[in-house]
Amino acid sequence: MNWYNIVFYLFALIVLVSAAGVVFSRKMMYAAFSLLFTFFGVAGLYVLLNADFIAVTQIMVYIGGILILIIFGVMLTSKFTDLEIKSGTTGTVQYVLAGISTIIVAAALIIMYLNVDWVQNPVPELESTVKPIGILLMTKYFLAFQVAAILLLLAFIGAAKIARRK
Amino acid sequence: MYNAVVNELIGSLGLIKPELALLVTFVVVIIADLIFKNNKVNLGLSILGTIVSGIFLIGMSGTNTSAFANLIAVDPFSEFFKYLILISTLIVLVMSEFSEELHNRDVWMGEYYMLVLGMALGMFLLAGATNLIMIYLALETMSMSSYILSGYTKEIKRSSEASLKYVIFGSLSSGIMIYGMSILFGMTGSLDLYAIQSYLAANGFFQPAIFISGLMVIAGFAYKISAVPFHFWTPDVYEGSPITITAYLSVASKAAGFAVLVRFIKLTFFDAAGSSDESWIMMNSIPWDMVLAVLAVATMTLGNIVALWQSNVKRMLAYSSIAHAGYLLMGIVVMTNTGLMSILVYFFFYLLMNFGAFIVVMLFAHKIGSEEMDDYEGIGYQAPVLASLLTLFLVSLTGLPPTAGFIGKLVLFGAVLDSGWYWLAVIGVLNSVVSLYYYAKVVRNMWLRKVDNGKGTLKFSIQSQALVMVLGIPTLVFGLFFGPIMRWAEHSVRIFLGN
Repeated sequence: MNWYNIVFYLFALIVLVSAAGVVFSRKMMYAAFSLLFTFFGVAGLYVLLNADFIAVTQIMVYIGGILILIIFGVMLTSKFTDLEIKSGTTGTVQYVLAGISTIIVAAALIIMYLNVDWVQNPVPELESTVKPIGILLMTKYFLAFQVAAILLLLAFIGAAKIARRK
Repeated sequence: MYNAVVNELIGSLGLIKPELALLVTFVVVIIADLIFKNNKVNLGLSILGTIVSGIFLIGMSGTNTSAFANLIAVDPFSEFFKYLILISTLIVLVMSEFSEELHNRDVWMGEYYMLVLGMALGMFLLAGATNLIMIYLALETMSMSSYILSGYTKEIKRSSEASLKYVIFGSLSSGIMIYGMSILFGMTGSLDLYAIQSYLAANGFFQPAIFISGLMVIAGFAYKISAVPFHFWTPDVYEGSPITITAYLSVASKAAGFAVLVRFIKLTFFDAAGSSDESWIMMNSIPWDMVLAVLAVATMTLGNIVALWQSNVKRMLAYSSIAHAGYLLMGIVVMTNTGLMSILVYFFFYLLMNFGAFIVVMLFAHKIGSEEMDDYEGIGYQAPVLASLLTLFLVSLTGLPPTAGFIGKLVLFGAVLDSGWYWLAVIGVLNSVVSLYYYAKVVRNMWLRKVDNGKGTLKFSIQSQALVMVLGIPTLVFGLFFGPIMRWAEHSVRIFLGN
């Protein structure tokens, strides 16, 4: 087992444990803070994949932006800070059914992952992925890039509309 | 070094003129809203932009190629759906002008037009998208606008509720879809549907993996066309949204969903070598037709049976639109160009009759303040013109002659029978019979109950009646002279299959 694998499993463990923390914690604040570690672990996995740009984006956008916003949102609406998250009517039947379907989905995915010939491109020696990504966004994916901009503009207009009093 | 690529991009701009017209209108409306602060100006500009986009679309007629390095295809198939989307957008814009729900509450309407135009743009791109990234972005552009539009009258509780439910179910289905896309990408190393197809054709694969990932992507589209079991959001969202948006979602958004569903299945899993127009052969012997058949049967049966219990007309029309999605899915099941043509014909007629029904329901709601079936008793004698037209639309939705809906069903069931799916056709016909019951219930309440309830006649403006007429007359005329639409649809089944 080389260093690469050890680091990979370390980050994978962080992601799994903290993701479980997000789902299972009963307090909103704990869930939000667990999410911090999930995002961080995923960023680490990106670094291992030589995806430096995505990793930095992950930290800046998700941790620096979205997560801080969530935590501020939770803290400013103080009555939610220690609100217990309850989910309506979860009886035994729901737990059993949800458990069975989760196991089926998980089993299907695991079987699939073990059996597929995943495409494995040789990793090119790159100093940084920023330049190739920039070129692709302005050439091959030009239209997609512009549509993403329109999508964000629409989301922005919509957010302003919803937040406005009248 | 990049000159060739840049030149190709510039050349591609000429192929998306209708989209550019919508985009420019979208930006102009944002600016005009800041300067004039006048809803009439916004409305006028939006309608103008839609018409200009339509003129460009007519100019593009017959183009069959791909643009922007295979990100989107510009072909007769997408063109047909773009016409449907444009007509729907025009109707919604005009219909909104009559909606008291939107205007009488002192709701600021500027964003409304922007979002409708943005949604139309997203649907345009979705109709032509041939790359997984592009499909996802176009789908999200469409969804983002529709989430906000469905909660546009946010001071009404059920409208906010509709919006929230839509967002939650929508993000879940997008998540499933993009997971499926990531698996497809991992197996084939490409996001381009043509490249995925040729890679899948050239390499042996673990079949269940293709099946699972394909199913996950299809689930994302099935959500948009509200196919069972991805329909949970439909009744609540349709009931809670402003009725203009309900109509828009039930026609245009569904059209875009069908366009991308057909294109995805045909381009990705289609065996180009072994197929002809008469029968598309799917690769890897995965029975996609059977999957879709199950989806179709579940969708129409559930839609029709639950519609039987509804007492709210808007909610009843929501379930009826689920049922219609089921009929339309049958056209994909047969996997022939005839089947595809029948979908296009059916969709065109569905647009007319569904919009017509929703507009009459909206106008009635203004006068009697209710969308409950029981409150429609005797309305036929209070508003004979509109009630007759609603009867016509409902008869057409059932699929009885001499209306356009009958021709649509005839072509569709004909295509299903032609390819030997007898049991599917039988279930479809039985479903149509069931649907007669709940459509007829409205008609009965309007004409046969409380014949003289003593209430005076209801007055409707000439313009609003004219709008309904514009939809009602074609519903009747195309029931008799359907030749042009059939020929148009026949020319529009060509999907761009790659270079």
